[in-house]
Amino acid sequence: MFWLIPKLAGAEESYTFDPAETEKKPYYVGGYLEFKPVLLGLDHDSAFYKLRFFNDPRGQNLLEANGRIQLEGSYENNIFRIYAKTNTDLKSSYSGESERSTFYELYGSVKPLTNLKFDVGKKTMKWGKGYAWNPVAFVDRPKDPDDPEQALEGYIVATADYIKSMDGPLKTFSFTSVLFPVYDHVNEAFGNNYKLNAAGRFYFLLYDTDIDLLFMTGGSRTDRYGVDFSRNISTNFEVHGELAYVRNFQKSALDVSGNRNMVEGDAVSYVIGMRHLTTFDLTTIIEYYHNGMGFSGDDMKNYYSYIARGYNTYQTTGNATILNNALQMSEGSYGRANAMANYLYVRFSQKEPFDIVYFTPALTWMMNTDDQSWSLTPELLYTGITNWEFRIRTGIIVGARNSDFGEKQNDYRIELRVGYYF
Amino acid sequence: MLLTCLLIVSLACPAFALDGKMILEQVDRNLNPESYETYRKLINIEPDGRKKEFTLFSVKKGTDKVAALFLAPASDKGRSTLRVGDNMWLNIPNIGKPIRITSLQSVVGGVFNNADILQLDYTAEYDVEKVEEKADQYILYLKAKTKTVAYDRLKMWADKDKKLPTKIECLTEAKMLIKTLYFKDVKDFSGGIVRPAVIETDSPLYKGYKSIIILAKIKKKNFKDEVFTLTFMTNLESLR
Repeated sequence: MFWLIPKLAGAEESYTFDPAETEKKPYYVGGYLEFKPVLLGLDHDSAFYKLRFFNDPRGQNLLEANGRIQLEGSYENNIFRIYAKTNTDLKSSYSGESERSTFYELYGSVKPLTNLKFDVGKKTMKWGKGYAWNPVAFVDRPKDPDDPEQALEGYIVATADYIKSMDGPLKTFSFTSVLFPVYDHVNEAFGNNYKLNAAGRFYFLLYDTDIDLLFMTGGSRTDRYGVDFSRNISTNFEVHGELAYVRNFQKSALDVSGNRNMVEGDAVSYVIGMRHLTTFDLTTIIEYYHNGMGFSGDDMKNYYSYIARGYNTYQTTGNATILNNALQMSEGSYGRANAMANYLYVRFSQKEPFDIVYFTPALTWMMNTDDQSWSLTPELLYTGITNWEFRIRTGIIVGARNSDFGEKQNDYRIELRVGYYF
Repeated sequence: MLLTCLLIVSLACPAFALDGKMILEQVDRNLNPESYETYRKLINIEPDGRKKEFTLFSVKKGTDKVAALFLAPASDKGRSTLRVGDNMWLNIPNIGKPIRITSLQSVVGGVFNNADILQLDYTAEYDVEKVEEKADQYILYLKAKTKTVAYDRLKMWADKDKKLPTKIECLTEAKMLIKTLYFKDVKDFSGGIVRPAVIETDSPLYKGYKSIIILAKIKKKNFKDEVFTLTFMTNLESLR
């Protein structure tokens, strides 16, 4: 390995730093390119395989090629700034080629004072302290717990940030207010249409603890309130948590006979977690997530049975009505990541083992604690070449029939991701 | 008579004893104003000569508030770190919400860690246990005030005339060497700031690796306290 060859002794090198590199331009343009081929090992006996491929059966594996192009730019003049980030996803798979382009963010800012800022446009809020899950992220799209560090598409909002610093145990107070319209072509997939929603976050740095109080109201979704915190217990040990209380939440679930029933009630979701760093740079993240709006084991068994019934019907009569209904339900709550109620997440990442600089292997384990099904994802990340990122991951899914991970479409997944920043 | 002489000598002696705390305060002020902005480049050099460079914009206020913003390379641009007392956070643009980090971690990899990037005054974090006077320099033995400080002990060599460090050994409580910093290339940055422009670091824990900080600009500047808050972290670019 060439990086173990010792540097030859020689004359001392002089280092320079051109002050021109520090000149600030009013504009900035940059971006990110990604190539991500993925090999999926299909589980032909699983409910979601049958649902997705009932009329187009596949072999043992599926190969996908994915690409992503992100462009971002900003222009600043005095107290005004405009920022934009576009995202284009390209996919080549069994179903053909597809392309989707959108603005992830596009907003204008006015900052009349250091402690006061106004934004209008499409942006992400990223509320919450959890790593894999954020039940208090009322104004954000759900993130992928398998890849929580991916950029997300924002919503069209108007926000105001006010900050106040103080002496004493309460060092910082800030309030972020959000106006969130839902109309035709404006956040229309968020919830009930023709509503102007309001949300807010009060932040406190109190006794060296980050604390947020959050809320959302307005009618597009039911009213919800939340609290989160993050604190260092010692320099290398952090604890965090979130709790969300959602009023009058409605859940549509199938019964044993395959009929949809609406259940309404208040729901409490929470995350409790910790992050620990050892002296040899091993980071451990552990989180437990309770999804108060999630499906029970029986709810999911009923859904899987519905799919099985639909598949048998299709096989014998060619009638795909039940499967099409089930497919529609999977595009809602049944098909989302972590659709059930209780999960445990454990991630180990080791920085630069064996002194291999910029190399970080990691292992992520996620388990559904209700049915003991789980996934295990080892990964290797290398960032030693400036502006390049190389990551290889495999994902193994294990679970019994009628379990969360057991009924997923794939048994395993191998993914390479090559990213370039400019 | 003898007693009178002894009394006079014992009263006079404290005037000539070295005041380590005063020397350390002078070192702090000679290195940086109490509140300032600066541009730095961090270079990680691997044993085979390969380099990775990071450009940072940093601001500091008072004894316990520091923030830094990555300007380059493109993969790190927009990343920011914040320190308020013993609290440290890292904000990565994609993740968007700041996460708590520790002083011993390194957001850039290599020999430098967060404590080196978000450094406070030495007098804010260390007590002077002992000071020795040599021909042209002082040697200060520093002990961390709390367990939250990155290095439990420092051994600092400081130029006697300029009151600037030339070398610092960072040690554990058991006096095991973690890393050594070498302060080089004293330059006039104007505004009365004359200080080393280059800090080189090596470590027995990373044999053959070297990390270097180069200062391009440093300027005395005051900031509002609200700059050093989580909510402001995404707006650090507006300070430039």
